[in-house]
Amino acid sequence: MTDSPSPTTPSRRLDPVALLAALAVVGAYARAIWFTPPERIQGYAQKILYVHAPAAWVAFLAFGLTALAGAGWLFLKDERLDRFAESSAEVGVVFTTAVLVTGPLWGRPIWGTWWTWDARLTLTLFLWFVYVGYLVLRGAVTGRESRARASAVLGILGALLIPFIHLSVYLFRTLHPMPVVARPEGPSMPPVMLTTFFLCFFAFTLLYVALVRARVAYAAERDALEDAAQG
Amino acid sequence: MPDNALYYRLAYAATLLLYAGYAISLAWRRARLARQRAART
Repeated sequence: MTDSPSPTTPSRRLDPVALLAALAVVGAYARAIWFTPPERIQGYAQKILYVHAPAAWVAFLAFGLTALAGAGWLFLKDERLDRFAESSAEVGVVFTTAVLVTGPLWGRPIWGTWWTWDARLTLTLFLWFVYVGYLVLRGAVTGRESRARASAVLGILGALLIPFIHLSVYLFRTLHPMPVVARPEGPSMPPVMLTTFFLCFFAFTLLYVALVRARVAYAAERDALEDAAQG
Repeated sequence: MPDNALYYRLAYAATLLLYAGYAISLAWRRARLARQRAART
Protein backbone atom coordinates (compact mmCIF):
# COMPACT_ATOMS: atom_id res chain seq x y z
CA MET A 1 0.00 0.00 0.00
CA THR A 2 1.64 3.23 -1.12
CA ASP A 3 0.48 6.77 -0.65
CA SER A 4 2.25 9.74 -2.18
CA PRO A 5 5.09 11.03 0.06
CA SER A 6 3.01 14.03 1.05
CA PRO A 7 -0.59 14.67 -0.03
CA THR A 8 0.12 18.37 -0.48
CA THR A 9 3.27 17.96 -2.56
CA PRO A 10 2.87 14.72 -4.53
CA SER A 11 5.87 13.16 -6.22
CA ARG A 12 6.10 13.68 -10.00
CA ARG A 13 8.95 11.19 -10.41
CA LEU A 14 8.35 8.00 -12.38
CA ASP A 15 7.70 5.10 -10.04
CA PRO A 16 10.53 2.53 -10.48
CA VAL A 17 7.97 -0.27 -10.06
CA ALA A 18 6.01 1.19 -13.01
CA LEU A 19 9.18 1.25 -15.12
CA LEU A 20 10.00 -2.34 -14.15
CA ALA A 21 6.41 -3.43 -14.89
CA ALA A 22 6.46 -1.75 -18.32
CA LEU A 23 9.75 -3.50 -19.18
CA ALA A 24 8.42 -6.85 -17.92
CA VAL A 25 5.19 -6.52 -19.94
CA VAL A 26 7.08 -5.56 -23.12
CA GLY A 27 9.44 -8.51 -22.53
CA ALA A 28 6.53 -10.90 -21.95
CA TYR A 29 4.72 -9.76 -25.12
CA ALA A 30 7.95 -10.02 -27.15
CA ARG A 31 8.67 -13.53 -25.88
CA ALA A 32 5.08 -14.68 -26.49
CA ILE A 33 4.96 -13.22 -30.02
CA TRP A 34 8.44 -13.93 -31.39
CA PHE A 35 10.09 -16.57 -29.21
CA THR A 36 7.28 -19.03 -28.41
CA PRO A 37 6.10 -21.47 -31.07
CA PRO A 38 2.38 -21.83 -31.86
CA GLU A 39 0.63 -24.94 -30.65
CA ARG A 40 0.19 -27.66 -33.33
CA ILE A 41 -3.58 -28.21 -33.06
CA GLN A 42 -4.92 -24.79 -31.97
CA GLY A 43 -2.43 -22.78 -34.03
CA TYR A 44 -1.59 -19.17 -33.14
CA ALA A 45 -4.86 -18.71 -31.23
CA GLN A 46 -3.31 -20.76 -28.40
CA LYS A 47 -1.00 -17.78 -27.72
CA ILE A 48 -4.04 -15.92 -26.38
CA LEU A 49 -3.59 -18.08 -23.26
CA TYR A 50 -0.48 -16.03 -22.33
CA VAL A 51 -2.54 -12.84 -21.90
CA HIS A 52 -5.87 -14.42 -20.89
CA ALA A 53 -4.88 -16.65 -17.95
CA PRO A 54 -2.57 -14.09 -16.24
CA ALA A 55 -5.30 -11.43 -16.56
CA ALA A 56 -7.73 -13.82 -14.83
CA TRP A 57 -5.19 -14.52 -12.07
CA VAL A 58 -4.60 -10.78 -11.52
CA ALA A 59 -8.36 -10.08 -11.48
CA PHE A 60 -8.85 -12.72 -8.76
CA LEU A 61 -5.88 -11.35 -6.83
CA ALA A 62 -7.20 -7.78 -7.15
CA PHE A 63 -10.72 -8.61 -5.98
CA GLY A 64 -9.43 -10.90 -3.22
CA LEU A 65 -7.27 -8.05 -1.90
CA THR A 66 -10.21 -5.63 -2.28
CA ALA A 67 -12.23 -7.91 0.01
CA LEU A 68 -9.37 -8.24 2.51
CA ALA A 69 -8.79 -4.49 2.59
CA GLY A 70 -12.55 -3.90 2.95
CA ALA A 71 -12.69 -6.34 5.87
CA GLY A 72 -9.67 -4.58 7.36
CA TRP A 73 -11.43 -1.22 7.03
CA LEU A 74 -14.53 -2.56 8.82
CA PHE A 75 -12.35 -3.42 11.82
CA LEU A 76 -9.75 -0.63 11.80
CA LYS A 77 -11.52 2.28 10.01
CA ASP A 78 -8.17 3.16 8.39
CA GLU A 79 -8.71 5.32 5.28
CA ARG A 80 -5.60 3.86 3.63
CA LEU A 81 -7.32 0.45 3.55
CA ASP A 82 -10.38 1.97 1.87
CA ARG A 83 -8.20 3.73 -0.72
CA PHE A 84 -6.38 0.46 -1.40
CA ALA A 85 -9.69 -1.45 -1.77
CA GLU A 86 -11.02 1.18 -4.19
CA SER A 87 -7.81 1.11 -6.23
CA SER A 88 -7.50 -2.67 -6.34
CA ALA A 89 -11.15 -3.02 -7.42
CA GLU A 90 -10.70 -0.53 -10.28
CA VAL A 91 -7.55 -2.26 -11.52
CA GLY A 92 -9.32 -5.61 -11.12
CA VAL A 93 -12.13 -4.41 -13.39
CA VAL A 94 -9.52 -3.49 -16.04
CA PHE A 95 -8.00 -6.99 -15.89
CA THR A 96 -11.43 -8.68 -15.89
CA THR A 97 -12.28 -6.65 -19.01
CA ALA A 98 -9.09 -8.07 -20.57
CA VAL A 99 -10.30 -11.59 -19.66
CA LEU A 100 -13.73 -10.94 -21.20
CA VAL A 101 -12.21 -9.51 -24.39
CA THR A 102 -9.52 -12.15 -24.95
CA GLY A 103 -11.76 -15.13 -24.08
CA PRO A 104 -14.15 -14.66 -27.01
CA LEU A 105 -11.18 -13.95 -29.32
CA TRP A 106 -9.93 -17.44 -28.44
CA GLY A 107 -13.40 -19.01 -28.44
CA ARG A 108 -14.29 -17.90 -31.97
CA PRO A 109 -11.54 -19.85 -33.81
CA ILE A 110 -11.43 -22.79 -31.36
CA TRP A 111 -15.08 -23.30 -30.34
CA GLY A 112 -16.64 -21.66 -33.40
CA THR A 113 -18.54 -19.16 -31.24
CA TRP A 114 -17.68 -15.87 -29.53
CA TRP A 115 -19.62 -16.65 -26.37
CA THR A 116 -21.50 -19.41 -24.63
CA TRP A 117 -23.50 -19.13 -21.40
CA ASP A 118 -21.57 -21.78 -19.53
CA ALA A 119 -20.75 -21.55 -15.81
CA ARG A 120 -17.18 -20.20 -16.06
CA LEU A 121 -17.96 -17.49 -18.61
CA THR A 122 -21.26 -16.42 -17.05
CA LEU A 123 -19.84 -16.21 -13.52
CA THR A 124 -16.86 -14.18 -14.79
CA LEU A 125 -19.22 -11.75 -16.52
CA PHE A 126 -21.23 -11.56 -13.28
CA LEU A 127 -18.02 -10.83 -11.32
CA TRP A 128 -17.27 -7.96 -13.74
CA PHE A 129 -20.77 -6.52 -13.22
CA VAL A 130 -20.45 -6.81 -9.41
CA TYR A 131 -17.22 -4.79 -9.34
CA VAL A 132 -18.42 -2.26 -11.92
CA GLY A 133 -21.38 -1.90 -9.52
CA TYR A 134 -18.86 -1.48 -6.68
CA LEU A 135 -17.25 1.45 -8.52
CA VAL A 136 -20.65 2.97 -9.35
CA LEU A 137 -21.65 2.63 -5.68
CA ARG A 138 -18.49 4.47 -4.61
CA GLY A 139 -19.34 7.28 -6.99
CA ALA A 140 -22.93 7.49 -5.72
CA VAL A 141 -22.33 7.62 -1.94
CA THR A 142 -20.99 11.00 -0.80
CA GLY A 143 -20.05 10.49 2.86
CA ARG A 144 -16.55 9.04 3.10
CA GLU A 145 -17.34 6.65 5.97
CA SER A 146 -20.67 5.38 4.62
CA ARG A 147 -19.04 4.96 1.18
CA ALA A 148 -16.23 2.91 2.70
CA ARG A 149 -18.65 0.75 4.72
CA ALA A 150 -21.04 0.01 1.85
CA SER A 151 -18.27 -0.72 -0.61
CA ALA A 152 -16.40 -2.92 1.91
CA VAL A 153 -19.50 -5.11 2.26
CA LEU A 154 -20.01 -5.32 -1.51
CA GLY A 155 -16.29 -5.96 -2.06
CA ILE A 156 -16.37 -8.89 0.37
CA LEU A 157 -19.59 -10.36 -1.10
CA GLY A 158 -18.26 -10.03 -4.66
CA ALA A 159 -15.07 -11.92 -3.80
CA LEU A 160 -17.15 -14.92 -2.70
CA LEU A 161 -17.64 -15.59 -6.43
CA ILE A 162 -13.92 -16.22 -6.98
CA PRO A 163 -13.73 -19.81 -5.62
CA PHE A 164 -16.89 -20.70 -7.57
CA ILE A 165 -15.38 -19.36 -10.78
CA HIS A 166 -12.12 -21.22 -10.15
CA LEU A 167 -13.90 -24.50 -9.39
CA SER A 168 -16.65 -24.09 -12.00
CA VAL A 169 -14.81 -26.30 -14.52
CA TYR A 170 -14.96 -29.14 -11.98
CA LEU A 171 -18.44 -28.44 -10.57
CA PHE A 172 -20.36 -27.95 -13.82
CA ARG A 173 -20.37 -29.27 -17.37
CA THR A 174 -18.55 -26.47 -19.14
CA LEU A 175 -16.89 -25.79 -22.48
CA HIS A 176 -14.04 -23.93 -20.78
CA PRO A 177 -10.78 -25.92 -20.82
CA MET A 178 -9.46 -27.55 -17.63
CA PRO A 179 -6.28 -26.07 -16.14
CA VAL A 180 -3.14 -26.93 -18.11
CA VAL A 181 -0.62 -25.81 -15.49
CA ALA A 182 -2.15 -25.91 -11.98
CA ARG A 183 -3.19 -29.55 -11.95
CA PRO A 184 -2.19 -32.45 -9.66
CA GLU A 185 -0.32 -34.42 -12.34
CA GLY A 186 1.81 -31.41 -13.29
CA PRO A 187 1.78 -28.96 -16.23
CA SER A 188 0.94 -30.36 -19.66
CA MET A 189 2.94 -27.74 -21.60
CA PRO A 190 6.38 -28.02 -23.14
CA PRO A 191 9.07 -26.04 -21.24
CA VAL A 192 9.32 -23.24 -23.83
CA MET A 193 5.59 -22.49 -23.50
CA LEU A 194 5.63 -22.93 -19.73
CA THR A 195 8.44 -20.36 -19.38
CA THR A 196 6.44 -17.83 -21.42
CA PHE A 197 3.35 -18.61 -19.37
CA PHE A 198 5.14 -17.94 -16.05
CA LEU A 199 6.88 -14.83 -17.43
CA CYS A 200 3.46 -13.43 -18.39
CA PHE A 201 2.12 -14.21 -14.91
CA PHE A 202 5.06 -12.37 -13.35
CA ALA A 203 4.82 -9.39 -15.75
CA PHE A 204 1.06 -8.87 -15.31
CA THR A 205 1.28 -9.27 -11.52
CA LEU A 206 3.97 -6.57 -11.51
CA LEU A 207 1.72 -4.43 -13.73
CA TYR A 208 -1.07 -4.84 -11.17
CA VAL A 209 1.29 -3.68 -8.38
CA ALA A 210 2.39 -0.63 -10.43
CA LEU A 211 -1.16 0.36 -11.40
CA VAL A 212 -2.46 -0.02 -7.84
CA ARG A 213 0.43 2.07 -6.47
CA ALA A 214 -0.41 4.84 -8.94
CA ARG A 215 -4.15 4.57 -8.24
CA VAL A 216 -3.63 4.67 -4.45
CA ALA A 217 -1.40 7.75 -4.83
CA TYR A 218 -4.15 9.42 -6.90
CA ALA A 219 -6.79 8.58 -4.26
CA ALA A 220 -4.59 9.98 -1.48
CA GLU A 221 -4.04 13.24 -3.41
CA ARG A 222 -7.78 13.50 -4.16
CA ASP A 223 -8.74 12.98 -0.49
CA ALA A 224 -6.11 15.50 0.65
CA LEU A 225 -7.51 18.08 -1.77
CA GLU A 226 -11.06 17.39 -0.51
CA ASP A 227 -9.89 17.80 3.09
CA ALA A 228 -8.15 21.07 2.23
CA ALA A 229 -11.30 22.34 0.46
CA GLN A 230 -13.36 21.61 3.59
CA GLY A 231 -10.83 23.56 5.66
CA MET B 1 -2.10 -25.92 -38.33
CA PRO B 2 -5.20 -23.66 -38.55
CA ASP B 3 -4.74 -20.14 -39.89
CA ASN B 4 -6.06 -18.06 -36.95
CA ALA B 5 -3.21 -15.62 -36.21
CA LEU B 6 -5.58 -12.66 -36.66
CA TYR B 7 -7.40 -13.54 -33.42
CA TYR B 8 -4.25 -13.63 -31.31
CA ARG B 9 -2.99 -10.38 -32.83
CA LEU B 10 -6.33 -8.75 -32.01
CA ALA B 11 -6.19 -10.11 -28.43
CA TYR B 12 -2.65 -8.81 -27.86
CA ALA B 13 -3.47 -5.41 -29.37
CA ALA B 14 -6.69 -5.14 -27.32
CA THR B 15 -4.98 -5.95 -24.00
CA LEU B 16 -2.09 -3.59 -24.73
CA LEU B 17 -4.55 -0.79 -25.57
CA LEU B 18 -6.58 -1.50 -22.45
CA TYR B 19 -3.62 -1.44 -20.04
CA ALA B 20 -1.96 1.55 -21.70
CA GLY B 21 -5.28 3.40 -21.83
CA TYR B 22 -5.86 2.83 -18.13
CA ALA B 23 -2.32 3.95 -17.23
CA ILE B 24 -2.83 7.12 -19.31
CA SER B 25 -6.18 7.76 -17.63
CA LEU B 26 -4.48 7.56 -14.22
CA ALA B 27 -1.76 10.02 -15.30
CA TRP B 28 -4.44 12.34 -16.71
CA ARG B 29 -6.48 12.24 -13.49
CA ARG B 30 -3.40 12.99 -11.37
CA ALA B 31 -2.50 15.89 -13.67
CA ARG B 32 -6.05 17.25 -13.32
CA LEU B 33 -5.73 17.09 -9.53
CA ALA B 34 -2.41 18.93 -9.73
CA ARG B 35 -4.08 21.69 -11.79
CA GLN B 36 -6.91 21.96 -9.23
CA ARG B 37 -4.36 22.18 -6.41
CA ALA B 38 -2.40 24.84 -8.26
CA ALA B 39 -5.60 26.83 -8.88
CA ARG B 40 -6.38 26.78 -5.14
CA THR B 41 -2.98 28.14 -4.08
